[in-house]
Amino acid sequence: MSRRAGVSGGAVLAVGLLLAAVAGSFAWLDMPLAALFTATAVEEAGGFVARFFPPDLSAGFLAKVAWAGLETLAISLLSTLLAALGGAVLALPAAGRHGLAGRHAARFVLNLLRSVPELVWATLMVLAAGLGPFAGTLALALHTTGVLGRLFAEALENSPPTPAEALAGGGAPALVTFLYGTLPLVAPQWLAYALYRWEMNIRMAAILGFVGAGGLGALLYYSLSLFQEAQASTVIIAMLAMAVAVDGASAWLRRRAGA
Amino acid sequence: MSFTLEGVGFTHANGHRALAGVDLRVAAGERVALIGASGAGKTTLLRVLAASLRPGSGRVELLGSAPWDAAPRDLRRLRARIGVVHQAPPIPPRQRVVTAVLAGRLGQWPLWKSLASLVLPVDPEGARRELARLDLAERLYDRCDCLSGGQLQRVALARVLYQQPDLLLADEPVSAMDPALSELTVALLNDEARRRGVTLVASLHAVDLALRHFPRVVGVKDGAILFDLPAGQVSEALLRELYAAEGGLPLAGSPLPSPSPEAGPAAGTLPPLRCA
Repeated sequence: MSRRAGVSGGAVLAVGLLLAAVAGSFAWLDMPLAALFTATAVEEAGGFVARFFPPDLSAGFLAKVAWAGLETLAISLLSTLLAALGGAVLALPAAGRHGLAGRHAARFVLNLLRSVPELVWATLMVLAAGLGPFAGTLALALHTTGVLGRLFAEALENSPPTPAEALAGGGAPALVTFLYGTLPLVAPQWLAYALYRWEMNIRMAAILGFVGAGGLGALLYYSLSLFQEAQASTVIIAMLAMAVAVDGASAWLRRRAGA
Repeated sequence: MSFTLEGVGFTHANGHRALAGVDLRVAAGERVALIGASGAGKTTLLRVLAASLRPGSGRVELLGSAPWDAAPRDLRRLRARIGVVHQAPPIPPRQRVVTAVLAGRLGQWPLWKSLASLVLPVDPEGARRELARLDLAERLYDRCDCLSGGQLQRVALARVLYQQPDLLLADEPVSAMDPALSELTVALLNDEARRRGVTLVASLHAVDLALRHFPRVVGVKDGAILFDLPAGQVSEALLRELYAAEGGLPLAGSPLPSPSPEAGPAAGTLPPLRCA
């Protein structure tokens, strides 16, 4: 194939198709964009927002929020930890360390876990394990195992095999070979991935309450259902504060680990 | 007999024949240098001797057992008695020096000891002793990525010394070192083998190093053994035939080069390593 300067015909075609798809989507979804900017709409939106202020800061409700926040934190921590363990166990065969059949089987399981979204897992777990934080933890752990397992496996595949081969060549058993020859190579990356998923899981744990899986989300759903916007506002602020705090903690930990 | 190879052949999956009909007998305590051009089959031969590569044909006997007829457990036991110095130090950069050295005995330790040593090194004094012979004792608790390339090579060497193998193999152990450090390393390997009465087989690219330090020299060409002679009987003509493809003899240079800033400290501060 000859190469020449300038934009290729394929690129022009791709951009054209993309624009056509955007225009088609607008037409298909029948979005009344203009209605968003009429005077009554703006007034109504303003009134809606105003009902959220001031947030409910009564001691009784704050205690409730703090308790739910702790529950959310516990859900996110525990689920990420379980997922990191499960991901590590599945990543080894998925990186092709136990033959081709093991690789395909592990990849299939990881794909399955990953392709079902957290909210769907949560709905299933609520049906299976009942309402509450246990269902939320399981749901997050299942989805995150799929994500982390895939990322862990890629880190494994990209790490040089020579240290582990040298140890195996010296008669070291498989587990020891992994701990001395492979884990030190991938540990910083694995830790960074796990912390990143923890940041995402704290936000997700806050939402899972909507389907009955406990934590701040349950409180938010409850407040909104009863049109208690002031209380909902407190819960949203708590979610925001927690997300910021966890992001900071995770960034600090990652810096400490030199990842 | 330390090891016996009879008619050993190996063909890579891509059809390249790396070894063909290799016969080699080495008695316990012998010190043998493998020399030959790049791609002659020296590394493949060493991997067969390390029981990490199963040859396609022929018979292999290492340290009194046939590795490829043995149960996996016995194969692991055999490998724990074979120490290999690799061309590039196979050490994870973030590992501490002490852990990297102690890893030499992972094949001999029970599982609990290996796991415990990850938390708290179980034998730091043993590691320090081997590192001291290489003038690196004060780096015991440093991380390996803080070391220079030459220092890392020495850590890898300390690991094999700590392993105390019955068969010591070295695959181009000095290819990345300056002449002074090469000389010291080869001398150290020979000292160790002599002191403990174990067999040493080293592949070397530099012919002069091989002839100076090893009593027995094996020339490998095109996957077969061209000659197998005492060092004193290796003739110029044989060497020329061995390296015909490379158009000249690869040499390491003089054992004691004029003091340069890089080579100086290594040569000057390693009293236990004086060449024999």
